[in-house]
Amino acid sequence: MMKILYISFLLPILFSCQSEKNVTVYPNQVGDIVFDKNIDNPDFKRCLDKDYGIQYYNNSEGFQYKGEKIAIIRELEKLNLSSSKKINGYITIRFIVNCEGKTGLFRVQQMNDNYLEENLDKDFSVKLLNFTKSLNGWIPIEIRGKKLDYYQYLTYKITNGKVSEILP
Amino acid sequence: MERFQKYYLSLIFLAIYSQISAQANCNIFTEENCRKACEISNQAGEYQGLSLSQLAFDKAIEICPTYDNAYFEKSVPYLKNGDFITWKALIDKAVELNPKEHLGYRAWCGYQFLRDYKGAIQDFDELEKYYPDNLGYSKNGDYNLYVVKAICYSAINQKDKAIQILENLFKTKDNHFGLYDYYQLGVTYFETGKYDKALENFEKQSKVYDFAENIYFRSKVSKIRNKDYLDLKSLALKSYDEGKTMKDAYTHNFNKVYRVQITEL
Repeated sequence: MMKILYISFLLPILFSCQSEKNVTVYPNQVGDIVFDKNIDNPDFKRCLDKDYGIQYYNNSEGFQYKGEKIAIIRELEKLNLSSSKKINGYITIRFIVNCEGKTGLFRVQQMNDNYLEENLDKDFSVKLLNFTKSLNGWIPIEIRGKKLDYYQYLTYKITNGKVSEILP
Repeated sequence: MERFQKYYLSLIFLAIYSQISAQANCNIFTEENCRKACEISNQAGEYQGLSLSQLAFDKAIEICPTYDNAYFEKSVPYLKNGDFITWKALIDKAVELNPKEHLGYRAWCGYQFLRDYKGAIQDFDELEKYYPDNLGYSKNGDYNLYVVKAICYSAINQKDKAIQILENLFKTKDNHFGLYDYYQLGVTYFETGKYDKALENFEKQSKVYDFAENIYFRSKVSKIRNKDYLDLKSLALKSYDEGKTMKDAYTHNFNKVYRVQITEL
């Protein structure tokens, strides 16, 4: 606790001499997702009144899905999705799993295989987003007997227009 | 403080403290600003991912633009939270400033989080120019990075190359065997149809740490050879249910086997 107080006092001093410079604004925690009425389902509710920034890896179990990750891999294989283009890169979809295992607040990031932002294939990314939204086996994280909302993501590695791996 | 508030405050600290990174030695800096940047980064690293922490790294970079660790530390929460574009831009800067220190980490993360096998091999090759005989270890401590390099070759279907790297490493004097090393070599032999060599390595693995996946592959070899495999299959399932499996808090291990795959054997 003393350390967080120390850094809280240190930072204003550090920034006081550059008040006219542009300072990047960060979310409370890297990766926080805020409800956007234009894209988010208003019926999806967080169980906690605040966003505590709990991540899927914050408990000892890590990635938790009924039937494990292979259940997701097999579901996707059944759909036999592919892009009409021979694209290579990654489509990452980040979202919240609430304490009931329901998902919402999906955000999509696409990048090429040089890790640069690029819209690889809009139709294909929409299909992967819809697939991700359809997954209903997420297991709520439980810490000290309480079920919590948490952040999860799925990254689809795309090789020659097909999903070659699902991560993490 | 109300019990409710106390509980959630403890959650925040749990989330933060589970992400703490290692501290750098700031006394090595003779230049005052860079020493200060190092101290700021060390403090900020304890609150990984918080806006306060990210702002502190920006300040460290501002006063000492050549301080590689600030870029590295700032990159980590983006990696863990799936923003790989931002992560890569920052870690590239850290590598540019201090390749000896950060190449191995970038390679490991590219492999672990994105299965970027070719990118990781390129980084390992570059790292080898600085450290010809010792690439170091993965961030989680599970693997010698030569094992990871071999895994990357195996993944892009250069199995012989993977085997060669692992066999050479295992012959090295004073090699410290990792938790899954013999298993990874065993699976690579298995995939090339060399079942004797595969079994030899699975047996060696069982003496280090016998986990469900390793037992599953022994069972598979028995089945292929028309021998009794069911006892081993049952043992693999039992081990799986006891939690003796390949584990990683952030991702999944290469050559991980899932429970359902064992039941289907």
